[in-house]
Amino acid sequence: MIGSNTTEAHPVLALRMKKAARKGATIVVADPRKIWLTKLAKRHLQLRPGSDVWLVNAMMHVILKEGLQDEEYIREHTEDFEAVAEVVSRYTPEEAEKVTGVPAADIVATAREYATEKHAAVFYTLGITEHACAVDNIWSLSNLVLMTGHLGYESTGLNALRGQNNVQGLNDAGANPAYFPGYQPADSAEIRQKFSEAWGVEVPETPGYRLDQIMSGLHDGRIRALYLIGENPAQTEPNAHHVMEGLEHVDFLITQDLFLNDMTERLADVVFPASSFAEKDGTFTNTERRVNRVRKALPCPGEAREDWQIVVDMAKAMGGNWPEYRTPEDAWNEFADLAPFWTGIRYDRIEEVGLQWPCTDRDHPGTPYLHAPSPSRPNGKGKFYPVEYQPPIEQPDSEYPFVLSTGRTLYHYNSATMTMREEGVVQKQEDPFVEMHPDDAAALGVQDGDWVRLVSRRGELEARAAVGERVYPGLVWMALHFAQAKVNWLTHDVGDPLIGTPEYKTSAIRIEPVGSALKPAAR
Amino acid sequence: MSSMVRFTLDGREASAPEGELLVHAAARHGVFIPTLCHDDKLDPYGGCRMCVVGVEGSPRPLPACATRVAEGMVVSTNSNVPAFRKTLTEMLLAEHLDPNPGGRPNELTDLAADLDAEAPFILPDAKRKEYEDRNRLMGYTPDACILCNRCVRYTQEVMQCSALSLEGRGPHARIVPTWERSWLDTECELCGGCLSVCPTGAIFEKFLEGTEQPERELVKTKTTCTFCGVGCQLDLNVDPETNRIVKVTSEPHYVSNEGNLCVKGRFAFNFVHHPDRLTKPMVRREDGELHETSWEDALQVAADGLNRVKAEHGPQAIGFLASARLTMEENFLIQKLARSVVGTNSIHSCEAT
Repeated sequence: MIGSNTTEAHPVLALRMKKAARKGATIVVADPRKIWLTKLAKRHLQLRPGSDVWLVNAMMHVILKEGLQDEEYIREHTEDFEAVAEVVSRYTPEEAEKVTGVPAADIVATAREYATEKHAAVFYTLGITEHACAVDNIWSLSNLVLMTGHLGYESTGLNALRGQNNVQGLNDAGANPAYFPGYQPADSAEIRQKFSEAWGVEVPETPGYRLDQIMSGLHDGRIRALYLIGENPAQTEPNAHHVMEGLEHVDFLITQDLFLNDMTERLADVVFPASSFAEKDGTFTNTERRVNRVRKALPCPGEAREDWQIVVDMAKAMGGNWPEYRTPEDAWNEFADLAPFWTGIRYDRIEEVGLQWPCTDRDHPGTPYLHAPSPSRPNGKGKFYPVEYQPPIEQPDSEYPFVLSTGRTLYHYNSATMTMREEGVVQKQEDPFVEMHPDDAAALGVQDGDWVRLVSRRGELEARAAVGERVYPGLVWMALHFAQAKVNWLTHDVGDPLIGTPEYKTSAIRIEPVGSALKPAAR
Repeated sequence: MSSMVRFTLDGREASAPEGELLVHAAARHGVFIPTLCHDDKLDPYGGCRMCVVGVEGSPRPLPACATRVAEGMVVSTNSNVPAFRKTLTEMLLAEHLDPNPGGRPNELTDLAADLDAEAPFILPDAKRKEYEDRNRLMGYTPDACILCNRCVRYTQEVMQCSALSLEGRGPHARIVPTWERSWLDTECELCGGCLSVCPTGAIFEKFLEGTEQPERELVKTKTTCTFCGVGCQLDLNVDPETNRIVKVTSEPHYVSNEGNLCVKGRFAFNFVHHPDRLTKPMVRREDGELHETSWEDALQVAADGLNRVKAEHGPQAIGFLASARLTMEENFLIQKLARSVVGTNSIHSCEAT
């Protein structure tokens, strides 16, 4: 488990891990915080945020030094192994201890256990990807998995736990500048030809902007109109004050959502009242690539409409020449006809149990795990990418001495427009809180539950101190859910150079006491 | 795979995988043995004795939920067992003062109906101390509790936390949050797993005022949860008269969650009915304020706005941000709108991480 607070972000999936632990499975948690799963873990590698590459490279160093790699797998199913072997030879566990804070002996023991266990799986979430070195982190883990051949059979692999209900489906559907539906590359003339023919209109060749480029485009005038659907970038994007300034420049803003928020109330030109998951048919695809049915249980309130219907209406109003979509199933069938990995999945097959893609024809049973018998690249070879450590962009200094990391909690969900409207849940977690170590709290003269002010180079907010040993001295942690204290006022927006993923997991801040407590902070 | 063993069930030859629980082996051969304390999610317990069967060579009847099939075993479910079962049911009924708190199904009263059992009398000390809790999600009625301990075992074995415990003895016994604190102040994560395994509805959802409705009249729609990527399968229980979700349930055979849910999946559905929900399209007029309008007008204003920007600055000046809240089909149509109508590839979302 690396960079995944599973019991809070994926509580029901964590039950499987708890069950496995009860049956004797070994769990090792690598996380800057003492998360719940550390209670069941054999070992907790409490690494410093952003030092993942050092940890993983050092594990590979141990594996190669002790000859625990899977030579046959490397020979038959991979390429460019030597480049990684050369790089990790310089990442000794002893040096790793200095950078990561994890004792060398723990790194050695974990490397041995992982390499020698046949059914060994790596699980990660945003603790790995929300860094400026996101891609490096993934590559280093991928190297580890390939080196040990822990791939292509049950209970192995490198498993991304998808944070939101339909992140997988959203990307599968092609809501991505680089891909047409089904991960068919937008930079391929052949693919564009295919979609142009299918849709009877020339699709654009100019590369699209990524999220971070759209955000910066608001400032420099490249982006003049924005259509926001179920999204509030002024809370969920890093350096949120800067995002807000950008949104103020935009000429035309459409929002399609369940609720207004402080941003859309002020800036939206058109507001479409949209549907919740209970009010429409369709599918969500979960973290194991299983396409599950979503079913309409209720009518939309008032004049609100199902989102698919609004989009179809918009296409018509703009003069688009679309076929008639009577139900979401019509849209699914169009997608499945165009996307080979989904061609075999149809609504009548997923009435009871969802199917996992790839599923290429109507008789295909679906695919529980990928990369069998060999990695899914055109030549069937898994590629090693040598990765060198890059320190986090913003380091603590005398003015901003604390490292701030961010994440989710069990009781809320993203910008919490849904969960903050549930009294019984808010009872458990109402006020914004910041986790800090007792030593730091003592030095600041702060008691558990006191309000403190968090200040970064980009913004400030107030939250209650949740004093405890979940974090180590010098590290503080805060959730992203609180509208009145948006942690993204504090975070910086320098992202991964390749894919633009923001570094939500490390920013430098200082903390100032504000006042005394009336009640203890929630956790 | 374990090997098969042969055994005798009510005089018939039968076979089962070695080590299978008798209650399951019998069910596969069409013999239904009633249980109360048993739950497939939990370790074998054998607490309530409702499932006892005769096993040749054993001096006493044995609980089918905690006895494993072995080669040559001779099992009888129909000799003196039904009489014993009826007596046991009557004893439970004699202190079961509240058979229907919160309108949940009740396995004990269902069983009593099957066995034609009634409470012979009400025990003088049947009334147990009430339990009140300030949490707004779950309630507990000691008078409906049969102390089967399923809830406590769920917290210990499935959640692996210390949230509930069995407190007191005899007529004082009841289930309480650990150390009799509030549900909000224990390790409890408010997942509601305890109430999902409760056979008598003693632990139940606290309903919003005006939405209470007996279980059997609610309309269930199976769907996929909207919180997180696990994809739990659940049933929205809708009151057909008010068209409101009254509660959320899940079944043990549902993939991938096996009937388990978390606090959000089980309880955080009221946003659907929240008065803040947008119910009319709005456009910003010249006074700078948002005004409600018709769909026709709102769509026209939106389409004109995008077409104007496109005409002045080209399609690249329009960005689309989609959402993982939405269905696959909706996201497909949104990217199609961006690419085939507006003419830009700039379609992305915060899920880019």
